Amino acid sequence: MLSLEARYSLTRFGAKSLLPAAIVFSVIHETGPIITGLVVSGRVGAGIGAELASMKVTEQIDAIEASAVNPYRLLAATRILACILMLPLLTLAADCCGLVMGWITQFMVEPVSLHQFINAGFSGADFNDFLPPTFKTAVFGLIIGLIACFQGMRTQGGAAGVGRAATSSVVLSSLFVILADVVLVKLIILFFP
Amino acid sequence: MDTIEQIATDPAEAEQGGAPVIAVEDLHKSFGSQHVLDGISLAVKRGETLAVLGRSGTGKSVLLRLIIGLETPDSGSVRIHGQAIAGLALDQLGEIRKKMGFLFQHAALYDSLTVEQNVAFPLQHHKKNMPKSEKADRVRQLLAEVGMEDALAKMPSDISGGMQKRVGLARALALEPDILLLDEPTAGLDPISAAEIDDLVLKLQQEHHMASIVVTHDLHSAKTIANRLALLNRGKVVIEGDFEELQKSDIEFVKEFLKHS
Repeated sequence: MLSLEARYSLTRFGAKSLLPAAIVFSVIHETGPIITGLVVSGRVGAGIGAELASMKVTEQIDAIEASAVNPYRLLAATRILACILMLPLLTLAADCCGLVMGWITQFMVEPVSLHQFINAGFSGADFNDFLPPTFKTAVFGLIIGLIACFQGMRTQGGAAGVGRAATSSVVLSSLFVILADVVLVKLIILFFP
Repeated sequence: MDTIEQIATDPAEAEQGGAPVIAVEDLHKSFGSQHVLDGISLAVKRGETLAVLGRSGTGKSVLLRLIIGLETPDSGSVRIHGQAIAGLALDQLGEIRKKMGFLFQHAALYDSLTVEQNVAFPLQHHKKNMPKSEKADRVRQLLAEVGMEDALAKMPSDISGGMQKRVGLARALALEPDILLLDEPTAGLDPISAAEIDDLVLKLQQEHHMASIVVTHDLHSAKTIANRLALLNRGKVVIEGDFEELQKSDIEFVKEFLKHS
């Protein structure tokens, strides 16, 4: 979609040759990280929230505590760490998919090889364009993991509580991911101009 | 009834002399405007089983949760082996919890783990130096004790409620506790399964010589497995003693409870 929209706009201003760079920059800077963050909020956030909430209402978390095991260390810390580690890796996968789809869309309108597309796209890019936006998603992972674990482990009230925990995990983590993105983009622009 | 003052400085020495292993003194607990426990005092010695009876919603389960530290009392104290558990750090509380086995009302088995992994859970976390083969043998032995040795690989969802309670009991005994807390061990079971659980608790009690508190509203079960009974009403202990003492009581609530049990 980005490719199609950008193509139309850039053609109007006589800058069609900048299309690969526009796609590459928008994907690695913003689209890849934020879409990954929101998808993981929806899928993993809801999963963690619902799983821990279900464990809470069936007293499984109390049983862990009664067995003298710290449930926060066992259940929350591991999930938060997994989110922090996996978000940058998933972002890389999302970036690759975004770039390939951008090339396919471009190819359907005007045949160009993937090699040419990548070369043109990355011609003005350096590591500062790539690393900070990718690693900012570790913060998204922290937010998603923290919110989902918190919502899950403080659940009350049976099946309805499990549903509420899953919903609030998704809504709150998506919201905070977007807010964090605004702050992180500002910081990245400040420290990696 | 034993009081806190009776506990000597050395808990082990004191318990040999008959001091309580579990001592609850003037315990109060409220949830919002609802006063669930209103000054409960109880004591249980080693080798003794106390059944806590009462109507639904009188705070019997809350009492057990306070004893193991899953809830915090508004006031009053809980002492385990003479050590007050209020204000303890999580690690210190953990050391006390290792000496306690807890059977939850609905067994609370970990639904993503097999029966074998459920029973092995406390061993995996607290017996890290124990060889794997020894852990496996211990799990088999515990499951054999509760008659569930054939269900090793089954998931909790694949076994009945009575079987889940048996597995929960095996898990509660994994660390060889000297205190056993049972929350409605026979609730929701058919009479035959309930009698089997009662016999099992009695057998384990005789073999392991633990201090136990059994929360139940099943008078028959309480008579079978407990040395003493405590009847709760509106957050207070109405009467405490053996079954004969309850039968002889002139208290209206006690008569009514026995009549309908």
